[in-house]
Amino acid sequence: MSLEERELEVLIGPQHPASGHMRLVAKIDGDIVVELRPNIGYVHRSVEKLAEVKKYLQIIPLVERPSLADTTANNLAYVMAVEKLLGIEPPPRAQYLRTLLAEINRIHSHFYGMGIHGVMIGSSTAYMWCFGDREPLIELAQELTGARLTYSYIVPGGVRRDLPQGFEDKVERVMRYLENRMPDYFDIYFNNPVTRARLEGVGVLTKEDAIKLGVTGPNLRASGVPYDVRKAEPYAAYPELDFDVITEEAGDAFARVMVRVREIQESIKIIRQVLKNIPDGPILDEKYMKMIPPNLRKQVEETGHIKFPGVFANLRVPAGEAVARVEGGRGEVVFHIISDGKMSPYRMRMVTPSFRNVILFEHLTKGARVADIPAIYGSLDYFPPEADR
Amino acid sequence: MVCALEGSMWVGNLEKAARKAAAWLVNKTPIRSLRDWGIAFSLWPVHFTTACCGAEFGASAAPKFDTERFGFLPFIASRQCNVLFIEGTLSKKMAEAAIWVYEQMPDPKFVVAMGACGIDGGIFWNSYNIVRPKDILPVHVYIPGCPPRPEAVAQAIIMLQRKIRKGELVTYEV
Repeated sequence: MSLEERELEVLIGPQHPASGHMRLVAKIDGDIVVELRPNIGYVHRSVEKLAEVKKYLQIIPLVERPSLADTTANNLAYVMAVEKLLGIEPPPRAQYLRTLLAEINRIHSHFYGMGIHGVMIGSSTAYMWCFGDREPLIELAQELTGARLTYSYIVPGGVRRDLPQGFEDKVERVMRYLENRMPDYFDIYFNNPVTRARLEGVGVLTKEDAIKLGVTGPNLRASGVPYDVRKAEPYAAYPELDFDVITEEAGDAFARVMVRVREIQESIKIIRQVLKNIPDGPILDEKYMKMIPPNLRKQVEETGHIKFPGVFANLRVPAGEAVARVEGGRGEVVFHIISDGKMSPYRMRMVTPSFRNVILFEHLTKGARVADIPAIYGSLDYFPPEADR
Repeated sequence: MVCALEGSMWVGNLEKAARKAAAWLVNKTPIRSLRDWGIAFSLWPVHFTTACCGAEFGASAAPKFDTERFGFLPFIASRQCNVLFIEGTLSKKMAEAAIWVYEQMPDPKFVVAMGACGIDGGIFWNSYNIVRPKDILPVHVYIPGCPPRPEAVAQAIIMLQRKIRKGELVTYEV
């Protein structure tokens, strides 16, 4: 029998048991995957095109929608690009508050990825635990910003709200809970023989391939490349904080999960430092604080909630180009804004980590078994709306 | 067809008559309410994620919100499910798949459109690549919000159950 006859084409999706809005076109020979091509574009919603007709502040919620589990990274990267064009530097307290929310979001984004991965390899316990432990962090973010996932917390010039009263104690309680909880995960999920057998040595990405393919985020660090935008090009309050870049050497699916787990512990460390070192002061740039009418400004000082003046909504950005990079939960988020001095950008380009990682589907599954497809898929923490934009 | 049963004689199509009688019985109050009660507590949504609201849909099936207590458990295969959740924006490419999935589901089946995008496009209302779910599917319950909170998903399930138990949605015909 010739090879052509032995091969079978299997269409997986777009409605499939794994969470995701994409079709995988697999060519299989028996139990071995000969070729697997992801068919993306099921969630393309033309975010970049819509940004050209929206005002600068209206784009903040728009860029959050593509990656709903990790909204702060997109929000922060976009606002940083706008701030570069405006030529303003947010006050130090705002920088620390941005870092605080970004780290809270990183933890619950990693839990989201781990939970989905758990359900893909058939461990409902992992899904239930991860999604359950995600809730306290979402509650924290909700108290700080007022929303569960779509925070829109970071605005040009600063942040929208100050720390609520007694927030530090609540954060400390949650952090202590997470620290006590992580050993349980090792007992029941990571050190489980089934998990080990399904993830160890599966989908190995070598260091050279990872660099060559332009992979980013935890998937890159799991292959032993210590690249993190927080260290490579520090932004917000990261230059003043002490943390390590997590790497693993193995490069397999298990290493990718382990990087996320260890990053959660690193984020706990960062959050503690942020709350310890946070300076006093304003949370919005002086230039914009002055625009707020006097009676409203008094209310802002009392409550710590920014009320936007009408002028702020029609924000005009000087002509020019700016690029901003941020390390999100899934990897490097890049925003490139070209402005021609009007109320909407001339062009907005967003490069999302999921789109840069989608190439791994084809690369890692070559020669793998059919049952390994979900194990590899889940370990990439791929979020289709983010890739398709 | 003529049937003889212990002396008495009936004239007519027995099979047709039996089906008619069963339909009449199933639509009659005590059995009908029992039937609607059964359907209301065995809602199985198909695992079909269309867009970003899936993140909140996942959270609603997880601890803390736990929609499983309403007999609502996401399931894999469309042929064994009876609820289709449109989770957020429906792009043109996805709309095709949504119709396939809907057609594969057995009757009685229900559609819930989740999120502002599911109602009228939401933040993406002027995008060139979206479809409004009401244009292609019969939607029974809408959930507003961008994204809706998991409590809203639970509320939508309760609303769907109420609608079913009122007997508005399910009818049997011969």
